[in-house]
This record gives sequence, C-alpha cells and structure tokens, in this order.
Amino acid sequence: MKRIDPVRLEVLKNAFDAIADEMALMLMRAAYSPIVRDSMDYSTALCDARGQTLAQGVTTPMHLGSFYDAMLHLMEKFADDIHEGDIFIGNDPYAAAGQHLPDIYIIEPLFHSGRLVAWATTIAHHADVGGIVPGSNALGATEIYQEGLRLPFLKLQSKGVPNQTIWDIIALNVRVPDLVTGDLRAQMAACQSCRRSFNDLVARYGIDEVLAYAEELHEYAERLTRAEIAELPDGDYSFTDHIDGLGENPEPIVFQVKVSVRGDRILIDFAGSSKQVQGGVNTPLPFTKASVYTALRSVMQSDIPNCHGFQRAIDVTAPPGTVVNSVHPAPCGARGITGYRVIDAVFGALAGPLPERVTADGMGGSTVPTFGGWHEGKPFVFTETVMGTWGAGAHHDGQVGVPHMGANQANVPIEMIETNYPLRIRRYGTIPDSGGPGRHRGGASFVREYEFLADEGVLSLRSDKAAFPPHGLAGGHCGRGPLSRLTTAEGSRTLPVLLTTPVTVRRGDVFCHLSPSGGGYGDPLDRPVAEIVEDLADGIITPAHAEEVYGVVMAGGAPDPAATERRRAEIRARGAGA
Amino acid sequence: MTASTLRIAADVGGTFTDVAMIRGDKSIATRKVSSTPDDYSRGVVRGIVELLEVEGLSAEEVGEVLHASTVATNTILEGKGARTALLTTAGFRDILEMRRVRVPRLYDPLYRKPPALVPRRWRFEVEERMDHRGNVLTALDETTVHRALDAVAAEGIEAIAVCLLHSYANPAHERRIGEIIRERFPAMFVSLSVDILPEIREYERSSTTAINSYIGPPVRGYLNALAERLHAAGLPRQFFMMHSAGGILDARTVMERPAQIVECGPAAGALGASKVMGRAGEGDAISFDMGGTTAKAALIENGRLVTTDDYEVGGGISLSSRLAKGGGYALKLPVIDISEVGAGGGSIVWIDRAGGLKVGPQSAGSVPGPACYGQGGDRPTVTDANVVLGYLNPQALAGGSVPIDAGLSRAVLARDVAEPLGLDLDAAAFGVHELITNVMTRGVKSVTTYRGRDPREFTMIAFGGNGGVHSVSLARALGVRRVVVPPGSGVFSALGLLYADVETSASAAFLCPLEKLTTDLLAPRFAELVARASHEIGRSTEELQIERRADFRYAGQAFELTLPFEESAALSAGDLTAVRDRFEDEHERLYGYRLARNAVELVTLRVTARLAGAGQVVSDYRPAQGGEARPDRMVHFGPAFGGRVATRVVDRAALAGGPKQGPLIVEEYDGTTVVPPDCRAALDPLGNIVIDLPDPAQETRP
Repeated sequence: MKRIDPVRLEVLKNAFDAIADEMALMLMRAAYSPIVRDSMDYSTALCDARGQTLAQGVTTPMHLGSFYDAMLHLMEKFADDIHEGDIFIGNDPYAAAGQHLPDIYIIEPLFHSGRLVAWATTIAHHADVGGIVPGSNALGATEIYQEGLRLPFLKLQSKGVPNQTIWDIIALNVRVPDLVTGDLRAQMAACQSCRRSFNDLVARYGIDEVLAYAEELHEYAERLTRAEIAELPDGDYSFTDHIDGLGENPEPIVFQVKVSVRGDRILIDFAGSSKQVQGGVNTPLPFTKASVYTALRSVMQSDIPNCHGFQRAIDVTAPPGTVVNSVHPAPCGARGITGYRVIDAVFGALAGPLPERVTADGMGGSTVPTFGGWHEGKPFVFTETVMGTWGAGAHHDGQVGVPHMGANQANVPIEMIETNYPLRIRRYGTIPDSGGPGRHRGGASFVREYEFLADEGVLSLRSDKAAFPPHGLAGGHCGRGPLSRLTTAEGSRTLPVLLTTPVTVRRGDVFCHLSPSGGGYGDPLDRPVAEIVEDLADGIITPAHAEEVYGVVMAGGAPDPAATERRRAEIRARGAGA
Repeated sequence: MTASTLRIAADVGGTFTDVAMIRGDKSIATRKVSSTPDDYSRGVVRGIVELLEVEGLSAEEVGEVLHASTVATNTILEGKGARTALLTTAGFRDILEMRRVRVPRLYDPLYRKPPALVPRRWRFEVEERMDHRGNVLTALDETTVHRALDAVAAEGIEAIAVCLLHSYANPAHERRIGEIIRERFPAMFVSLSVDILPEIREYERSSTTAINSYIGPPVRGYLNALAERLHAAGLPRQFFMMHSAGGILDARTVMERPAQIVECGPAAGALGASKVMGRAGEGDAISFDMGGTTAKAALIENGRLVTTDDYEVGGGISLSSRLAKGGGYALKLPVIDISEVGAGGGSIVWIDRAGGLKVGPQSAGSVPGPACYGQGGDRPTVTDANVVLGYLNPQALAGGSVPIDAGLSRAVLARDVAEPLGLDLDAAAFGVHELITNVMTRGVKSVTTYRGRDPREFTMIAFGGNGGVHSVSLARALGVRRVVVPPGSGVFSALGLLYADVETSASAAFLCPLEKLTTDLLAPRFAELVARASHEIGRSTEELQIERRADFRYAGQAFELTLPFEESAALSAGDLTAVRDRFEDEHERLYGYRLARNAVELVTLRVTARLAGAGQVVSDYRPAQGGEARPDRMVHFGPAFGGRVATRVVDRAALAGGPKQGPLIVEEYDGTTVVPPDCRAALDPLGNIVIDLPDPAQETRP
C-alpha cells in the first residue's frame, strides 16, 4: 500500500473512537435494566473484517480484548453464511467463546458493495437469563447447565428478517423478559448507529483508505505498546492472590501469576493456579486475557488506542482446567470476581518493578447482592454492582466511591431503587477507622444496608477478601475484610462471602454489607501529624485509632507532640521486637 | 424596559472583557478592555464607560445593562466557594463523597477524583425519613437539626445546603429545616433541594444544591459589587445576568439560585448564534465557537437551542464528555447543550512515541502563547500552523496590536513536526490543520449524530477568535454545505447578550403512566410551575409566553426524551395518542425502534416562561469605511488544490458587491475568515459572510 500519512491515521482513529462511543451512548440511553443503564455493565466495539477490535466505547475495560475470541468463533461457525442484514446473538462461554451466560453478544456484520468490511459488536450484562437463581450468577452451580439459557451464536435476524422463534425462547426462559428484550433492542440500536456512521466514513474516505488505515492502527498500537514494555526492566515478577472460596467452609482459590518481561514482549502465565471449581467463579481463557490486558494497559503511560494491536505484544497462558482457563462444563456465572482477581494479581506482581504506578490493594471488585422474588403479582430481580475502595499510592491516600480498574460502573441511585423495587436502603456511607493504615491511608470501608419489603424472596451474594484482606505496600498495613450480616426475626448472622445457596428473606429482613477497605502505603508512623488531625476533624478516624495505630496522642483537641513522640517510639520498639 | 432605551452588554472572559451595544441605527459598537481578575466588576464598568465615551453617549441614556461572567464557574474551579455545610438524612452523610462511583478515565490507577465541595466535617445528619411516595417513615427530630446548627455556628459556616432523601416527593421536612435555619441565622445563605432541583436521584440533587450554596455568597458579593459600581458610574443599579439556558434574569433573582449561571459564558455566544440565524431565516444550525483554548458546539433546531440537564461543572474537557462522567460536580439544571473539546488556536502540537501526530488538549494559553507571538512560546501550536499556511497575517493580528513573527512559527513546526515525521513544512502545517478539524468534528458530532441528528442538514454559524479560520474545513468534514460568519464574530458573546430574552424555567418530578394522565392531574402541577417561573421573572403570568414540556420514556427505561406538551392545558383522549406518537417518533429517530406494546410514562414536567421584547432587536450591518488595500498572500489549502495559491486578502465590505469565488482571506480587527478556492463567499443584508461549499457529490475527494 501507499505510504502511511500520520495525520490521516489520527483522523481515522478519532473517527473509529467516535463510532464506538456513539454506540455506547445509544445503548445506555435505550436500555431498560439498572445494570446496563445505571451501572453501565456493557461494551461496544467496532471491529475490522477479521473481528479485531478497532475501537471500543469508554465503558467496561474488562471487555477489551474479549471480543476477539468470540468473533473468531462466530466467523468460523458461519464462514460463508454471513450476509447483509444478519444480526447474531450468543452468550455461551464454551459454544460461543463468551464470558458468562448473562453477558449476551449482539453482533452485526457491516458490508460495502456486497463485501464484509467490518463488524458492529456489543455485549451487555442482562438482568437475568434463567437458571437456578434470579440474576443468573449462581455461585452454587456445579455445571453450566444450571446457570440459565445457553445460546451458541445464532442469527437473531437473517437478511433483515427477524427470527421470532429465538425471541420467544428467550422471553420464556428469563425471569424479566421486558428488561432482557428491551436491552437486546438497545444493543441492536447501537449496532444500527455503528452501521450508519461507518457508512458515512466510507463514503467520505473510500473503503480502501479506511481499511488500510484500520490495519495501520493495529501496527501503531503495537508499536506504542512495545515501546512501553521495552522500558520495563527484564525479569520475572510473581505474585500469589486468592479468592476466599465458596460457601460456608471456603477453601482458598489460588491465583498464581508470573509476569515475564523479555525485551518488548510480556508473557503472563498462570501455572500453579487452582483447578476449576464446583461453583460459578471459573472463567474461560478469553476473559482472563481481557483482564490481563486491562491491568497492563493501566500501568502504561501512553494513550494507546483501544484496539487489537495492543494485544500482540502480550502472551497469556494458563493450564486448561484451571479456574482461569476453565473447560466445559465448568460453571462461570460469577466469573467477574475472577477477572478482578486476575487484575489484582498482575498489579501485585508489577508492584515490584513499578512501585509508583500501582497502588496498594483495594476492594477487589464489586460486591454483588441480588434480590429476587415476587411483588404485587410480578416477578422482580434486583442486582447491583456495589463499589468501591482503592488502596493508597506512593503519593496519595486511597479513595472511596471509585470503581475497580476492571469495570468503570456506577452505583444505582437509592431513590431509584426504592421507587422501582420492594427494597429500602437504610444506610450508605463510609466507616471510621477502616482504611488500611499507612503513611498514605487506604480508602475507607463503606456500608450499604438493605431492608427487604416484599413478602418473601431470595438473596444471593458475591463478595470477597475476608480471608485475604487487601494488602498494603511498602510497610503499609492491610485493609479490612468485608462483613455481611443478615438480620431476621430469628436473629442476626454473618453470611459467607460467596453464598452458594441463596438465602430466603422476608419482609423486614435487613441485609447489611460492610465493604473491604483499601491497603495502606508506607509506615503509618511516618504519617504527618497534621494529616491525622485532618482525618480526625472529618471523622475518618477516631482519637483511639489515631493513638493506637498512628501513635498520635491528642490532648484537649490538639495533638500532644511529646506524648506522640513517646507513643510512636513505643510502637516502633514493639514492631522491632515482634 | 422600553425599546427606545439603550442596552449595553458586557461579557467577562479570562483575558478580555468585551462590551457591545446596538446604536440607534441598529449598527454594532464594541469595545475590548483587559479583564480585572482581582475584581472583574471594575473592568466591566470601565469597558462600559469607555464605550459610551467613544460613542459620545452619557450614562443616563443607558436603560439596561446585560452581563455574563464566569464568576460562578471560577469559584468552583478555584475552590474559592463559601464554607458550606450540608444537612442530610441520617445514614447518608457521604452521598457527596460516594458520588456515582464512575470515573472519567479508564486505565488510571492513580486517578484522583475532585474533593467534595462540602468536606465531611461539615456534612451533618438529621433524623428523618420519607419514602418515595412522600410518606413520612420517621418524623423530623428537630433536636438533631439544632445539634447540627450548633456545629454550624461553631465552625463559621457561611452557607448551608439541605438535601433529604425523597424530598422531591414531600418537601415538608426540608421546608421545616429551612425555617429553623432562618430563625437561628437570618443572614445565612440557604439552599433547599426542593427549591433548587425537586427531582429524583439523590447524588445529582445533593450536588446541585451544594453547588448553589457553595457559590452563593461569592456570587452575591460580586453582583452587589457590580451593582454599586454601576450606580457610582451613573448607570442603572439593576442589571440582568445571562443564565446557562440562554435567557436573562434580574441579577437579584440570580442571587437566590446562582447555580443557574454556572455555564452562562458559552451560553451567550450560542444564544447570539440562534438569534442571528433566526433573523437570517435558518431555523436549523450548528453553532461553532472556537477560541484560544477550546472549541464549543451547540445545536439549534427550529430556532431553539437544544438544552440538557445532564451536566458536570469542572469536569475538564473531554472528547466524549457524555459518556465519561464523574470528573466534575454534577449540576442538573438546564444548560444549553454545548460540547467542548480542547481545540483552540493555542493548542500545542506534539508527536507521541510511536510517531503519531497529536494536537492538544494542552494549550499555550495567552502566555507564553503560540511561538509566533515571540513571548517565549517554544512549542508549535495551531496558530503557528495557520501562520505558516498563510491563513493568518504574517506580520500582525488584531489590527496590528499583536505582532507576529512567522519565522518562529516555521522554525518550531519544522523542528517538532515536519522533520520527525519526514514531511515538508506545508504538509506538516496542513496536517495540524486537518487534525484539529478532526478533533472538533467529534465535538460537533456529540451534539448531532450522537443525538440522531445529521449535520448535513444544518448550516454552521462560526464565531470566536478562530471560528472563521477553521469553519470551512470543519464544515467540509461534517458534510455541512453552508457556513455563516456574523459581524463582530470575535466579540460575539457580548452581542449574544443583547439578543437574549428574559426567560426562566421550572421543573418538577411527576411519575405517571401516560394513559392515566388527565387535565385534573396536570393542571395544578403546571400552574404551580408557571407561578414559580413568573415569580422568578417578577411579571404576571399574562405577560409571559409559557411553554409546557414533559419528559417521557417507555416504562422501565431510565433515560427520558423531553417533548413539547402543550396539550396538557386541556387534555383529550386523542391528545394522549398524539403525545404517544410524538414520543415514539422521536424514540425511533434516536434509537431506530419503537415498542408499540410497551407502556409510556411521564417522568418530569417542565415549564419555560419568557418575557419577549427587548431581545428581538438584532443588529443591522454597516460596512466599515475605507478598508486599506492589503497585499495578496500565497496560501496553502491542502493537497487537493496543489501547492500554494495566490489569494486575495480583503475586508468584509469587499464582499458586498456580490458572491466571490475563493480563494479569499477576509481580515478584520476581531477575526479572520478563510475561503478556500472551491468555495464562494457573499455578504447577506445583515452583514453575515455566507460561504457556500461545493456539493460533495460533485466533488472527487482528494
């Protein structure tokens, strides 16, 4: 081809980005379920004819890089049977290279003069796809057959003609058909906007030009990525992270990661990680890869395009049959937590070579409570992704009210929840003394407390980090683990972090979740007294905590310098003796 | 307010304060003075006084002063607001801190969100609770209110915001707290969320209310100071402020709800654009405003600016601001839907490590400014590229007041762009031009294609210091066929103020299935909104033009579409069908489908009240006398036109004799307009430069 013009490249890159963003906006605005429209748990992408992502909407990072395997699968299955006006649907992790059943792909091929030139692709987390629990993220599932409706890639629409059979099957198999079909239509609306805008682009620049620069965009992203990697010191960096384990008697699930930097390449291997488990936290390899890409992208400083070229310098391997590369029929309904832990583990490994670019450990992704049941003659399912808290960094305190790096999701407004569901939120706010102590303090734990207002229903829960609370860095202490309490007429009890069997809830029952908090960074005894005084004024810590952990003694509302010095010396001596 | 009295407008920017008036013969008079950041009101009055002197008028002849300023925005951006307390429902002290959780940037573990406007120590909980229907679950415990107010007194608090859960459904508790506060602190600046934004979603309502209190005392101080200075200069003490939705209101009203003026700066220009285009007979237009740091786009449909209430202040500039929320403070009041991108004359050009050419969003600002200013700027900017290409005068800008050293532009562009990329200098400079156009394309798309509007169906009106330089390229990239550059385009925001109507709006949450709507249900609610709006304007309802609108959605969706709802005054069964059809048409236009079997519901009622009259006057054009002859320039218009093209440099008046084929450069005191070889430019009777682009269908793309 002719010489690449750097201006034209940037122009078309921006145009691709604009298309993907427009798709994301269309999808959000037309969507029905809170998890799509408020939490924004979905992604949109423009892919080239080979299914390689050219641009992705600014929504869920963990979906970056996960489209490609699904696209390969789709193109292999349909090969010569892909036509203008087709719309594909699929969700199965094994039969469609999907992620977990609630994440449904809607994909439309884009044609120019009869030739397949690109793909409009969307994936959205649906409120329910059937299965043994409302919300379809059953932690207690032992096989994927229990998790809900499995769809290999199918034509939801063929040459412009809708396949009503598929719509009927979906509507019958999900608990909230209006939400699911409404969100599917929103995904189709996003594909339509992609088609329209892509056609405009082709009309303006010509198809050959657009495709040539699409190709160059991958090369460009790869160059940027390799330049970043080349600056890292060569070496192997290992880290071990965990998920607490399933049910009442959890056995730790191990994430063993080794990050090997070799010149301008990175190899990431998960040998030594746990075997796949009898519970919905397994993930097929595509999602593990996507999570790794998210972590690596987050420590790179260049503005690398969200396209396939980024992935070419990165190899991800994991032994088949492990929790990070599960094989049929392992269940994976709650696999999001596994993706979060993959990201955390890679950050943990990178803390060695890049201590200034990662933070101490945070909340570890969302806590996901799901309430389901019947109310006033209608079924309801309420799920939300509750986040989040970050660990402290080398130069700043951790924050609360921020998402995990893997999923930039919003909370659901309390007033919306109470208007639309038989639930009342009783408390939502931060907990004093909870942030992991350090020179820089970890973000606080926060509470979200729900009162159930329907006659009867079930609650499922996905959370983590009780047995392995968020770690600190450089002498910072670890954060707190979570605490989930269910209070009923019979009394109050602590729920396991990963509830394998949903519990029954009745009117007036209260579910209270305290989130994990972030780890600290550096020795808490090095935290300046002035910052402690500010924390006290804001009620982020109490005087007892200030004295016990930070060694700052208050007297009459002001710090006592002499007593503080003594107290800090005592704590240091105790630490040295221990 | 009578038509015969003189109206004079002052728009305060970071560097300059622009003053404009319309003379008795409807021609424009303007004055530019330096802004006075220590107290902007000083510069405003000086500019007005100077303009009057130049025009030989006395202060007594001024009937009305109109004003727009960034004082409210700057208070937030600089963190210089009042010491503000927030009173909220027990259990929800941290709503402002938790926000909506989303952050504006992906892949940044070191991202820091902006600190809450009200620090935790000044956020107080009171015992009370409503449900979503407005039923009292826990009665207000006034001892907890007094306990909070004890702390308020001890902490030297200057303003209080009150936002309780579900107060939009039942304001009783907030109102009672308001009474208690006024009893104890009669002079305290107080905002109740039911007065500021009686709508569902607690974070957005809390944030908007907190903003109102936080900026209240400083804005009040500024407006009072300005009133005093005006009075001292013999000008009317009473004056009008532009608000973010493009209307003007008495400054005394603004003091109660200052949150509504946060985005008034860019609003004035957009409003001016809508009026100029209306007078030119173009109801549908894209308003394009390009200055030194940013470019802004807004959409005019059927003569009206499109507004939104999905807005954040201080969120920084973002290419996809609609998606990447969370960088600023949510402000859910009507603002003109203006998208802003970091693309201006001062935008810095750079090359990333993979050899990609980038422009902005960093700006060289006015100090040191572009390299060609010779004030120490050492990095190439968009203006430097424009100098190299021949678009801008290579000796001086602004009538000679800003000297230009074109050699410096060539040197930095060659060193930092052309040589690293292996391009010749013209190709590098044109690349910069093309790229900045491309960045701005995205800004325009976010108010057009992102809303299901096709930019090709619109005319573009361009203004701001750099609007005329880049408008044709931008129009071409979007498929827009006609560009209008109005007179006074460099001081256009001040002109826009002169064109504004006294206008305000009010809204209230009202969730109701469409089929259950009746006149009995709607009439009292709309009447209350109309009363609120007319109270704010200070005129009786009969004197006002009232527009009724409502937000509708399919039951279950969370995003609504705002549509006219005039039928609400006397509703029949047939009307409901018409309303449903209108909603579904718009839904289909945006999203490509309709759901005939799904229920439609009403969510929010809206009223806009307007006192028409003064703002109808739009200037006539009087050509400036005796423009001196300027030398031709060799100008580069891109590879499609070969190398450099000999180009005539003219003033606006030179276009009066009928359409002229490009290439042309129109140089004026306050701006430059570029007309490429394949375009034609003419002057319309209003003095607008009208540029017609060739039909893209006839054109073979370079």
